[in-house]
Amino acid sequence: MKAHRLGALIVKESRELIRDPVTIALAVIMPLIMLFLFGYAVNLDVEQVAVGIYDLDNTPASRDLSARFDSSRYFQLEQKTTDLRDLESALQSSTISMGVVIPAGLARQLLRGDEAPVQVIVDGGYPVLGRLASAYAEAVIANFPAPRQSAVRVQARVWFNPSLRSVNFVIPGLFAVILMAFPPLLTALAIVREKETGTIEQIYASPVTSTEFVVGKLVPYGLVAFLEILMVMVVGFAWFQVPIAGSPILLLTSAFVYVLTTVGIGLLVSSLVRTQLAAMLITLIVTLMPSFLFSGFLFPLFTMPLALQLYSWLFPAGYFMEISRGIVLKSAGLEAVLPNLMMLIVYTVLVFVFAAWRMKQKVA
Amino acid sequence: MSSPEPIVAKGLGRQFGDNVVIEPLDVSVDRGQRVGIVGADGAGKTTLLQMLAGILDPTVGECRVLGFDTRREAKQVAARIGYMSQGFTLYDRLSVKENLSFAARIRDVPDELYRERSERLLSMSGLGRFTDRPAAKLSGGMRKKLSLCTNLVHEPELLILDEPGLGVDPLSRRHLWTMLDRFRSQGLTMVVATSYMDEAERCDRILLLEQGRVLADGSLEELLRPAAGRVFTVNAGDTGRGLRELSGILAQIDSVHSVQWLPDHLRLVMNADIAENQLAELLPEGTHLAAAEPRLEDLFVLRTDRRAGEQQFPELARQDRGKGEGLAVKGLSVHFGHFKAVDRVSFDAPSGELLALLGPNGAGKTTLIRALCGLVTIDEGSAEVAGLSSGGGSAALRRQIGYMSQRFSLYLELTPRENLRFFANAYGLAGGAARAAIDWAREVTGLTDIPDKLTGDLSSALRQRLALACSLLHRPRVLFLDEPTSGVDPVARYLFWRVIRELAASGMTVLVTTHYLEEAAYCDRLALMLDGRLLAHGSRSSLNHSLGLEAVATVEMLFTAAIEQAGTANSRALGP
Repeated sequence: MKAHRLGALIVKESRELIRDPVTIALAVIMPLIMLFLFGYAVNLDVEQVAVGIYDLDNTPASRDLSARFDSSRYFQLEQKTTDLRDLESALQSSTISMGVVIPAGLARQLLRGDEAPVQVIVDGGYPVLGRLASAYAEAVIANFPAPRQSAVRVQARVWFNPSLRSVNFVIPGLFAVILMAFPPLLTALAIVREKETGTIEQIYASPVTSTEFVVGKLVPYGLVAFLEILMVMVVGFAWFQVPIAGSPILLLTSAFVYVLTTVGIGLLVSSLVRTQLAAMLITLIVTLMPSFLFSGFLFPLFTMPLALQLYSWLFPAGYFMEISRGIVLKSAGLEAVLPNLMMLIVYTVLVFVFAAWRMKQKVA
Repeated sequence: MSSPEPIVAKGLGRQFGDNVVIEPLDVSVDRGQRVGIVGADGAGKTTLLQMLAGILDPTVGECRVLGFDTRREAKQVAARIGYMSQGFTLYDRLSVKENLSFAARIRDVPDELYRERSERLLSMSGLGRFTDRPAAKLSGGMRKKLSLCTNLVHEPELLILDEPGLGVDPLSRRHLWTMLDRFRSQGLTMVVATSYMDEAERCDRILLLEQGRVLADGSLEELLRPAAGRVFTVNAGDTGRGLRELSGILAQIDSVHSVQWLPDHLRLVMNADIAENQLAELLPEGTHLAAAEPRLEDLFVLRTDRRAGEQQFPELARQDRGKGEGLAVKGLSVHFGHFKAVDRVSFDAPSGELLALLGPNGAGKTTLIRALCGLVTIDEGSAEVAGLSSGGGSAALRRQIGYMSQRFSLYLELTPRENLRFFANAYGLAGGAARAAIDWAREVTGLTDIPDKLTGDLSSALRQRLALACSLLHRPRVLFLDEPTSGVDPVARYLFWRVIRELAASGMTVLVTTHYLEEAAYCDRLALMLDGRLLAHGSRSSLNHSLGLEAVATVEMLFTAAIEQAGTANSRALGP
């Protein structure tokens, strides 16, 4: 590697990049759009579940129970009916997600101190919602008319995200996803564009080595990607008011390593394909899609079958996801993030070695 | 110890899959020699040059360039040579100076040497005034000159050039060669692929390549020897016979190998030595026969089967059409943003005229044609095509015009018959009318027995005529052909031009674009375009006259004179 050749490559690449307003705009705006879209759209909190109540008792007691559902922040009373068929059709048409059937004689049974059955029908079409809604419903009913006494008391404490806001969990995860979406795309197009226009033949027919060429692309694109993540982090923390429990420096340092990984993947793709279209498609398939599915962004990895868990190790988004959530939510220190950080470093080195090796510097 | 030879190749060959592009060949080039590689499109010129430059590994054999193996020591080779590929070699967003300094720094040129050389190269190429202009905003000729500079800045011992003059305006091409001559005098060895006769003439030695084989290797004179004394031109003189009748007579003569149809004469290549007076005796009295200079193309013609060029074409009935129903273009401009692709172009062509629109790549030829066909919006001025105003893309206009685009827009997955049927239906012909139109178009283009396989598997020559047939189905009054002859061998080109001449003779107005300037010889009148503007327009003789050139001047010289007169080449570029 010769410094002046590398310098010339970096300068050339930076100039091309700076003079391409469309790419710059894409690099700045797209991550922000994605941050806002997903920051607001991905909400895992279950609130305001629409409830229909079929009240056959129609006594002050049964109306009190209905009012408790309505006043809970988890439920919203959508309809009261005296016809069972209404409840059925409302569940079918999704106007309500849960139906509560209060049988006649509820008040009488309560007065007698008997056990009074109340039926809860939950729409299981969306299982997560169904499960949570029925659990909340049980809690409402368990406290009616007064909390029951038991010898054992549960004292639950939520650690790391005590308010259980899902945005606190989504935003640090989005860092991993967004960084896997755009920098590889930008970089993949960078080499392939030279192949398509033919300028790459001049590089082949010059003393520039594959390593110099790849590093010459890496530095400017890595810098752009790092600015991207910096911007996304600042906006993410400030706008969505996500508290950072751990060290911001450690987060940035890890992000820097991850930036190299993502840019490296882009370089690898573009060293393998010939057209911009192929580069784009392959990049989307190997980066964006798995970073949603196999990183633990939305679905925890441990619930997947073993084969898919192993498969998920192929995609680096998961490693950074752990680091990012660890630092932001659990105030994880270097020791805690080190295993994942090491994985990223090893991954990056492998990707670069492979990309430089694949850049054969021949036209065919 | 003497320095190693620039090129020594032994059994060098390359195949892509099963397709042998270069048959194993031995070649060596001496220091200071200038070698031309000549061959039709697809002969393997680029592949050979890429192997010599070390950017493509051979499948067999080996090649040493300046003593280094091109396979294992490609980077040592790269450091010592310049390789200018056919396509784009510049970074559009970098300025002239930035492109040049990038080229110098990646080739390890020390800064002080770079300063000295860049100044010299920029002034030599006439780019000195444009150092801060982005490469994207240079004209085609300037881009080529800058590419050459980037390949000379490290003062290579060997320069490999792939068709440096292709699609470049003639004046820039002359500058390019002036630069090359200057470096040659310093002992630079050069290998250059070319399809221009005058470029071949500047070489010490020529390798004639055909389908990956070296057909001949020697000086231009040696190469042309087989064709010497075998090329003649004939015209009807005052016999009152038409060229058609004349060619019928020639077809009876066994020793006539090929006949090329030009506007007012035929050009013959004989397959046996024959004295001029002997040949004259075989021709009707009063015809003018003259010996002609052989060209490289004639060598390829001599190697093809005689019958290939001997197809019969029906004589088309002349359809009289009202005057002024061809083309009338007034002050037409097409803008793409701030860029004027076509800039106030005016010309006309009466019905039955064969007009050549000539110009380098990027001159605006295709845009002009697309504007006339109603495919792009006309920003200023007007155009009448077959008596109809073009613009807005009216259906009435489309029924009167035929358009054959650069890449022969055919469906490669369909057979020729299916293609013809599809296009007939697309023009609203059905049943018997469609069958009749297809039969007619096939007869006119000489495709009566076209093979029944997929269009993609046909030769480019057949595809070219099939595309023409498809554009003729509705018997248009004006026919637009955009670069119809690229990638087609000479004999097929002769056939194609003959069909075109017949069509024009029947009263169809034909506008052909080409960057092969010599093809202008087939046409009645020429329109010369550069940088979106029409430099000159008229018949060849009248243009020669008005530009003060001799009657024998080539189209190349004509174009150069027109550029100089218009003073465009650089002064326009100085504008805002």
